[in-house]
Amino acid sequence: MSRVASTPLWRILSAGIVAFAVLVLIYLVLPTLVIVPLSFSSDTFLRFPPSGFSLRWYESFADSTDYQLAILNSLKIGVPAALLATVLGVMAALAVVRGSMPFRRTLAALMIAPLVLPQIVLAIGLFPLLAKVGLVGSYPGIVAAHAVVTIPLVFITVSAALRSYAPTFELAAMTLGANPWRTFRHVTLPMIRPGVIVGFIFALTFSFDELILAMFLTSPTTRTVPRLLWEQLNFQMTPIIAAATVVILTVTIGLLCLAVLAGASARRRMAGTARE
Amino acid sequence: MAGKVAGASAPAPGLAAPRQRAAAWSPAKGGLLLLALPLAMLALFFLLPLLVVLGQSFTAPAGPFDSYVRLAGDSALRNALTYTFQTAAIVTLAALVLSYPVAFLISRAQGRWLVIGMVFVLVPFWTSAVIRSYAWLVLLQRRGVLNEMMLALGLIDRPLRLTNTDIGTHVAMVQIMLPFMILPLLSAMRGIDASVLRAAAILGANPWRQFLHVYLPLSMPGVGAGCVLVFISTLGFYITPALLGGSSQMIAVAIEQQVSRLLDWPLASALATLLLVLTCLLFMLYERLNRRLAGAGEAR
Repeated sequence: MSRVASTPLWRILSAGIVAFAVLVLIYLVLPTLVIVPLSFSSDTFLRFPPSGFSLRWYESFADSTDYQLAILNSLKIGVPAALLATVLGVMAALAVVRGSMPFRRTLAALMIAPLVLPQIVLAIGLFPLLAKVGLVGSYPGIVAAHAVVTIPLVFITVSAALRSYAPTFELAAMTLGANPWRTFRHVTLPMIRPGVIVGFIFALTFSFDELILAMFLTSPTTRTVPRLLWEQLNFQMTPIIAAATVVILTVTIGLLCLAVLAGASARRRMAGTARE
Repeated sequence: MAGKVAGASAPAPGLAAPRQRAAAWSPAKGGLLLLALPLAMLALFFLLPLLVVLGQSFTAPAGPFDSYVRLAGDSALRNALTYTFQTAAIVTLAALVLSYPVAFLISRAQGRWLVIGMVFVLVPFWTSAVIRSYAWLVLLQRRGVLNEMMLALGLIDRPLRLTNTDIGTHVAMVQIMLPFMILPLLSAMRGIDASVLRAAAILGANPWRQFLHVYLPLSMPGVGAGCVLVFISTLGFYITPALLGGSSQMIAVAIEQQVSRLLDWPLASALATLLLVLTCLLFMLYERLNRRLAGAGEAR
């Protein structure tokens, strides 16, 4: 390849591929980057480039009781939903990866299905069901809905973690007399912890971001940040949305950096203990 | 080996022979016990709602199959269906063409370039779709960034209409879907052994033939998985088409409108059932491809 690759034609071609890829990457991040200068605008409507810069939209974002309530709601819904999804997702992954039951492939597909199905279909099925038991607009209703659609995220990350080491570790613990709970607590959990944490953070981020279920199942008093953003988008277009967006983005990326760091440090620790 | 714990989707090492797996962690009984709660949750909040949708679609006042008959007779809804499939095909194809070179380069990158490449892919991936659709609105609207820039450069003398057009909506949707294509491609491409390409080169294949006869076939599982993933996700796309609009409606937007503006639950449910069945079929295809990908990984 090296001889042919050094001919001018192939060199031009590979430079072309690199240039194309760079353009695609710019296209990928451009929308996110455009929001940032807009959030510092001093105009009362969206204009680019802004005629002046100020922090006024951040101030009105901080003063807005609507946003405060929505952020609080997002936390009240996202944290329990992600916790529930984590517990159930870990249980399901353990059963499907380590257990020996029939239809394992079908079960695994079923566990991933809620993530694949368009949320609008689930929403118009859940709405009448929850309305019957009076749970529309309540916290438990939307928490259950978000837990169901985020179980797949935990299931996928924990399954991958379980598949990355041989079950002989657990076999050894059980041969030495540990009961299933102690085996899980002292052998399995330490091994899969990074997968569990990453799954939890993915579930949390997903819930913070989910619009359609929130649109159908929350009320004005339980509405989440995406629903508030959506309602504002359809009414007014002031840079307060941009300011809110930048704050949310910063928090989301911060959370994800934490997830990456948690994974990396666990990997390092594991690698360290393996060497000793 | 312990260092691999956090490595996502690494195939099971040879130690995990099926016989040992059956004996380890939980006796078969414990497995079923563990599965009971997650299954109950899924049955109650996932399968039951889907049955409700199916049941609702037969509750039209004029007769059980009335909503399906109306669906077949309503040209706007029929349009929405074909438009959705058309859009899904266009978005999938565009995403594939744009993603392939990017995934190829990232799969070969190392160190700093690998990190930079992944950041460029993952930051948009984890940016809310509401926020990104809003950003596209800011970019594309009449007095938006793109129009202002082109006016300033003298490329156009009147602002172009970019929102509420197919092209604007597609450009935004492709951007939102790109990471769903790049990530499966990457995982397939990182599994391709570079020595296979060297072997082809030694046997006299030029770079084009190496790509066409060696690299492309080996990356096909990733191409298949990425395409099905993007196609399925685009079928259910709501946020971007609802905000940016286009010449016709996407199914998800049509369902939402039937419910919240027209209060026609039976018709909305019939549409949703259709979407559900189509998504299920495609998901089964995806599962099959995934299995083949996993099989190829184990064979290596």
